[in-house]
Amino acid sequence: MHRINVILFLLMLAGGLSSFFLIPPKEISEDEKRRLATFPNLTWQGYINGSWADSVDLYINDHFPARDKCVEFADWLKYQKGLHFKDQEKIFVSQKKSKKENEAFDEEGMPLDTNMNFLDDFEEAYSGSMLILDGSVFPLNGGSPKMGRVFAKMVSQYAANLGPKTRVFSCVAPLSSAFIPAEKYKHYNGKNRATLQAIGNSLTNGAIFSDVLGEMNNHVNEKMFFSTDHHWNAKGAYYAYVAFCKSAGFQPVPLENMDRRVKYKFLGSLYQHTRDPSVRNNPDTMEYFIPRVKTSAIRYGKTGYKGSKSQVFCNSCSGGNTYSTFLCGDIPLIKITTGVKNGRKACVIKNSMGNAFTVYLVSHYEEIWVMDFRYAYQNLTDLMVTNEVDDLIFAVGMYAAMSNGTINRIRNLATQKGPPAPKPVKQNPTDTILPKEILVQPLIEDTLKQ
Amino acid sequence: MTFRNLSLVIFSFIFYAWGEPLWIVLMLFSSLFDYGNGLLIEKWHGTHKAKIMLWVSIIGNLALLMSFKYGGFIWENINAIVELPFDKPTNSLPIGISFYTFQTISYCVDVYRGEVKAQKSLLNFMLFVSVFHQLVAGPIVRYQLIAGQLKSRSVNWEDISIGINRFCFGLFKKVIIANVAGELVQKYLENGFTDLSSAEAWFGIIMFSIQIYFDFSGYSDMAIGLGRMFGFHYGENFRHPYAAISVADFYKRWHISLGTFFRDYVYIPLGGNRKFQLRNIMVVWLLTGFWHGASWNFVLWGFYFGCFMIIEKLLEKYLAKTPRFLRHLYTLILIVFSRAIFYFVDFAQLKEFVVKLFASKYQSGDGFYTDLIEHLFWFILVILLCIPWDEIYKKESNVYLKASAFNHYARPFMNVLLLLLCTVMLVDATYNPFIYFRF
Repeated sequence: MHRINVILFLLMLAGGLSSFFLIPPKEISEDEKRRLATFPNLTWQGYINGSWADSVDLYINDHFPARDKCVEFADWLKYQKGLHFKDQEKIFVSQKKSKKENEAFDEEGMPLDTNMNFLDDFEEAYSGSMLILDGSVFPLNGGSPKMGRVFAKMVSQYAANLGPKTRVFSCVAPLSSAFIPAEKYKHYNGKNRATLQAIGNSLTNGAIFSDVLGEMNNHVNEKMFFSTDHHWNAKGAYYAYVAFCKSAGFQPVPLENMDRRVKYKFLGSLYQHTRDPSVRNNPDTMEYFIPRVKTSAIRYGKTGYKGSKSQVFCNSCSGGNTYSTFLCGDIPLIKITTGVKNGRKACVIKNSMGNAFTVYLVSHYEEIWVMDFRYAYQNLTDLMVTNEVDDLIFAVGMYAAMSNGTINRIRNLATQKGPPAPKPVKQNPTDTILPKEILVQPLIEDTLKQ
Repeated sequence: MTFRNLSLVIFSFIFYAWGEPLWIVLMLFSSLFDYGNGLLIEKWHGTHKAKIMLWVSIIGNLALLMSFKYGGFIWENINAIVELPFDKPTNSLPIGISFYTFQTISYCVDVYRGEVKAQKSLLNFMLFVSVFHQLVAGPIVRYQLIAGQLKSRSVNWEDISIGINRFCFGLFKKVIIANVAGELVQKYLENGFTDLSSAEAWFGIIMFSIQIYFDFSGYSDMAIGLGRMFGFHYGENFRHPYAAISVADFYKRWHISLGTFFRDYVYIPLGGNRKFQLRNIMVVWLLTGFWHGASWNFVLWGFYFGCFMIIEKLLEKYLAKTPRFLRHLYTLILIVFSRAIFYFVDFAQLKEFVVKLFASKYQSGDGFYTDLIEHLFWFILVILLCIPWDEIYKKESNVYLKASAFNHYARPFMNVLLLLLCTVMLVDATYNPFIYFRF
């Protein structure tokens, strides 16, 4: 029996080793939304400081044979640790990523260090506890009125700099914690409100507050956030659009006057984060609404103005990328030209939460510039002035208003050095839907090259 | 044998150099330093010169430890009193330094005492210091235990098979028990505990007790198993410590190689139980605490156990009459509480946590009960693994014989299963999702 034991053990080792070399390595992990490690070049410096060995470890980890299957099996295995009941509340604690910023403020509540790197805005909001309730994930966070005030000052500063000709809107989305369907967590709605009210009350210089949460609170019985993803759904974004229209003096287009589409089996970011089986068994169905307006879109990379064709809606986005249906994902800068001939122009500063919101604006503006503050390095002031933009709209998820780093990043858009903005050019709006042949993967690859 | 030892030394150095190639110099120095010291101590045996060389070895090794492990700590404490003209040393802790310095000290002391002969072969001595099985996390292997095996050892199917069994079981303890407990520790102790209830605080610290035991004993099992595969027979390092019925009993079962080191090289030379026993106990425990880490909380932790060892010594007669169950319960409570002292390096945090343990104003959340239910089978497994079955069922008993027979035939397949489960869980630990695409 000892021999069998030894032989089986050796066979296991040999099998693992040979499959590692035989199975061709993957480049990208779609589930993890990241590029997998490449084998590092050996350098004397790298060897001596241990970074080469660390990189080899990372490479082996990333390219372990049947890694995806192993992760799946591990999820199942972890589920077997005990008993599970329906409606069982669970608290998920995510691993904290390293925090790159301090929290120093001056006497006016403004951050002292204006060049701080920002941690991903999502990580800021979600790197604490999350509640898993009946297959849906909610952050146990309600924002921070203190940071809300800092955010409002930043928006007000834009209003002051741009002058009375340009309207500046704060259109901040609440966290999904505002709508946890359990009595015990109702107070998170109040926490979200306190943060958003702090923004509203602190806006000055004519900056306008869109009461997104107030409008959404009129529809608490409707599903406005995804269960498996950290974004709001098209309905949630629509009510934010209604709130914006009220504050901007526009007449919102009723949903009935738009074309309804549906996508199924969407397992979003929060499932990937928690890997909880109850969340996996509760995939989202995403319905979305396409305004009946002709549009054309040009996408730009991080720094330049050499654009390529894009679209407002990506019909082919599916699976984990379903939310990328709106604006084809997080592109640094997009210019949308619409068939609305009213001469109005808007610029939307957004993170991913703003994507689902922005698509409704095509009914009200002839031209919309959409800048993702996390990735764009074009100068915002230059873009606004050159293109004579009428409205500047901050359409961000509240997690962008929860840390110094993200607020500073938005503040820096006004002064960062990008190439001169191109002079206005007319485009011919064609269709709102991205043709099927333009898939998400090339968009990702395009992002890689930038 | 020379070839086998040479290849083991080479691969041990490659293993050690994998993450920290620079510190290989330190280990080489330590090997050469005590190889020379050993030879000189033996050469001058019985003379003052031998004693001087012994002190050279002890001071040299302790200086290494002080520089690399305690340098920052010493600097902080002196700097708090007198401002030092240089910056705090920022050396990273070389892996295994606490283990191999103690091994070489024990070697020189044993040679000085005449209990072992000095190793003439540099290769064999380097193998003793660097052999990869126990280099990283112990156990502390005494030279006298493996002196003969360095020179000649045989490996057969049975040794390799038993080694594999032990290795797989150690890996299982580390990955399936310790790592899972670690996740719960992180959840309850690491993410701030301002709204912890007392039950949650106790749960968190119990999880840490489980994590630390299964982590450390898992590593020891893997080391013992790997050693066995290569023909080395190391001593046991853990014997079901959570079955102890007193603090003294606990430390006969916990990190045995460290306990015996301090017993033989500190406690007995200080006078043992012949003179100043209580002082000797306290000295040993303060040193044991300090060995665990460069922070005052570890010293406090040693003091805590020193006190209870003394109390137990003074109340020995009464404790002996106490029912076994109560003694077991008392020991477990003391041990679990001691983990809080061990865990919190910051005294302010420790104080806050102790308040939570005994008088938290918060109620447990539903998520806590969910954690209990969702880990129910895992808890049962942990309890089963903590029970000393081999003490309950003696070797000649029917149950033991049947279990042994079953184990003999089922073990190869169990090993495959354990290896698969551990691999899957380790791969899962590398899963690192991002919310947005990161390139």
